[in-house]
Amino acid sequence: MFQNRTEALALALPAALFAAIVFLVPVAILLSEGFRTADGWSIQAYIDFFSMPLNQKVFLRTLRLGLTVTFVAAIIGYAAAYAIVTLPPSSKGKMIGLVVLPLMISPVARTYAWIVILGRTGIVNQALMTVGLTDGPVRFLFTETAVFIGLLQLFLPLMIISLISALENLPRDAVPAARVLGANWFQVFWKVLLPLTREGLVIGGTLVFTGSLTAYITPAILGGSKVLMLETLLYQQVTVANNFVSASIIALILILMSFAANILLRRIASARNSK
Amino acid sequence: MTLKALLGAAAALSMTAGLAQAQEKTLTISVYSFAQDEFNEILYKPFEEKCGCKVVVETGNSVERLAKMEANKTNPVIDMAVMSMADSLSAARQDLIDTIDTSRLTNYDKLYDIAKDPNGDGKSVGYTFYSTSIVYRTDKMEIESWGDLLKDDIAPHVAFPNVTTNQGPPALYMLGKAMGSDSPDLTAPIDAVAEKADDIVTFYVRSSQLVQLMQQEEILAAPIGRFAWAPFAKLDLPLAWATPKEGQTGGMNVMVVTKGSKNRDLALEFMDFWLSTDIQTKLAEAMVDSPANKDVKVSEEVANNITFGEDTAKSLKLLPSEVILDHRDQWLAEWNAKVGQ
Amino acid sequence: MTQKLYTWTILSLVLVFLIGPFLIITAASFSAGDTLAFPPEGFSFKWIVKVFTVESFRESFVTSIILAVGGTLTALILGIPASYAMSRYKLPGAETVRFLVSLPIVVPGIIVGLALLRYFVIPLGISISLALFVAHTALVLPYAVRVVSASLNNLRSDMEEAAVLLGSTRFGAFMRIVLPNIRGGVLAAFILGFVTSFNQVPVSLFLSGPGVRTLPIDMLGYMEIVFDPSIAALSSLLAFFSIGIVFAAERFLGFSRYV
Repeated sequence: MFQNRTEALALALPAALFAAIVFLVPVAILLSEGFRTADGWSIQAYIDFFSMPLNQKVFLRTLRLGLTVTFVAAIIGYAAAYAIVTLPPSSKGKMIGLVVLPLMISPVARTYAWIVILGRTGIVNQALMTVGLTDGPVRFLFTETAVFIGLLQLFLPLMIISLISALENLPRDAVPAARVLGANWFQVFWKVLLPLTREGLVIGGTLVFTGSLTAYITPAILGGSKVLMLETLLYQQVTVANNFVSASIIALILILMSFAANILLRRIASARNSK
Repeated sequence: MTLKALLGAAAALSMTAGLAQAQEKTLTISVYSFAQDEFNEILYKPFEEKCGCKVVVETGNSVERLAKMEANKTNPVIDMAVMSMADSLSAARQDLIDTIDTSRLTNYDKLYDIAKDPNGDGKSVGYTFYSTSIVYRTDKMEIESWGDLLKDDIAPHVAFPNVTTNQGPPALYMLGKAMGSDSPDLTAPIDAVAEKADDIVTFYVRSSQLVQLMQQEEILAAPIGRFAWAPFAKLDLPLAWATPKEGQTGGMNVMVVTKGSKNRDLALEFMDFWLSTDIQTKLAEAMVDSPANKDVKVSEEVANNITFGEDTAKSLKLLPSEVILDHRDQWLAEWNAKVGQ
Repeated sequence: MTQKLYTWTILSLVLVFLIGPFLIITAASFSAGDTLAFPPEGFSFKWIVKVFTVESFRESFVTSIILAVGGTLTALILGIPASYAMSRYKLPGAETVRFLVSLPIVVPGIIVGLALLRYFVIPLGISISLALFVAHTALVLPYAVRVVSASLNNLRSDMEEAAVLLGSTRFGAFMRIVLPNIRGGVLAAFILGFVTSFNQVPVSLFLSGPGVRTLPIDMLGYMEIVFDPSIAALSSLLAFFSIGIVFAAERFLGFSRYV
């Protein structure tokens, strides 16, 4: 640990100032619009906002989808990341490339692909009907399920690569050693993997949760106005109703939710670690 | 090495930024994003050659454009824009656009009367109009009235325009007419749609998406604007354009000039060029825009695929701009409260 | 043996989920039909060819590349020193710095775009190009700081401390010891940042002006009215372009050893 404070500040200030000036200031002004009224400051707009059933519903739906996507992404993410780090170096690189690949594809195009896949005549429905699970085509499009699938596919790679970075630093023999000592897979995960990879989980979890909250294209295309989420509601308020107060309120809600998720994940991870 | 690359990037970036300013005569326009290839060939390039200037094009939908114009009010970046009739009235009310000096438009007299000054404030000129009706699968259903859309066996196969789109309020208005209500508050039709909200496949925002949904039989019927018809006609499906007994609705798109624009002369020259018989004919033949110029003559095949002729234009049951503007917030609130549940 | 079975079962399932839609998009771009469909109707190159004939795609592609590369490099130049300060120094107000640089990730893109347009571009008379550049840099900054910080925290600090004790400057120690060791993290941050910026839609939605438009915005606008496989063709071309980058990174830098 170096002690020189001036040097430390000189290194950190450019980034901090940059973020403060081009980011914090304009966004803060916009957020303040939710509290500003003709006669001064008030939280009346917030009370009005939450008294509307549609807004309550959209809020709960966004929270629910964000949490489920993050949870499922973490489970699949650990399984996949662990599988990848145990690969020999040559295939590992290719596998990471393949996992990262979908991130390179425009979310617009990826979301449209799901329309083809999840449609009434799509592959999923054909498979379901061939196996005999349903008689007629199931409606997936413009439901929460479709949005969930789209978001999971969009953000799972972020979870996997965050966890790979973390797992890479795990001592090679930690898991086999725990297994030899008689731990079952659940214990291995809870006692060995989770504490040693908490940084990765916090990064990945925050990326996935925040990403799901603020994704616009996926809920817009796969959910449409039947499955409004906070971000699509916000967009509607800005472009259609020119309602910057609602937009400001939704923005603050989204920001607070992201922070809460980050803090919560940190808590969970460090609580495990301190035991 | 990174620094070098950064400098390179910064230099390249400032070059792109400087490019627009480097040209002496530049006309900046804001238009709908569709068919830009065709517009480029038919309209922009020939105009650039004619005026010896550069046309810079910004694309986006009508509402976004209005929001940006409002934001850039003090220092307008756009010289000329096209938008929906209602949005042009809104722009006029916000004092974002100027009166158009129609004496400078040599083709003005060739326009259909309804296109000449649609809002009656002298601040817009119509350049294209379209009808709105229902596209549907003739082998699966019959559509004789707007009300048919909400029948029990049809509603689960319908994509209805969202109230936020240009097609939403007119479609709701026609639905209201079918139910015997002529009221512009649209309460009756919104209630009726709300009752079937779970059945209706989706409340669409982009009509382009419907071709896909129609092709994979996700939907079998949808109210659309005629400008979106061409790709449906190309599908190998038994599709028809309904002629409901309540009539068809529709809309008009208009040209406006930005208040405080420094290139007013060029903007007017461009508008006149766009309204000329030659350009309007070419745009109609490319099935891009239906003409507002009455001298335009097209083949029967083309006429069938666009909204052609003054009689057609006059027969459309249009919602006046004032009505749309005055009720927009109420419609949205009511829609969100009832249909959005 | 069971380990191998586990590995491959998991990976094939995950890859089908992640890559499947991409394969469908690719297949659809070779369609001879007029709509996005799978299986595609017939085979042709017409949509691939069409992509190259759309002039605005070429222009917005260049804009997006410049933005993504320039923005990400700037974010790294700002972010690496900050990460280093946070992980190796007793930094006064470290939490504030961490908070500030991670802000852009939690603020919804559309609010960022709107806020920058209303309170930065217009009152200060800044050009849209510069605003876009600044916005994209800010967006990438959290990724740069987080990924680089993670690599730094996983790198033992005793070697560089030893080098400093032995008379090397801190900058020298950083360049010779730290940087080579966190190269993978930096590259990962670059790729993550590039992708984030390149695919960004909501921020750029309001920050697009006449003649200045990013590729995704252009695609979205195009798709708003035209729905044909050319968007699929463009997407798969872009994806192959990206695979090329990842392969090159793997080949020349040994990507996988570091990530």
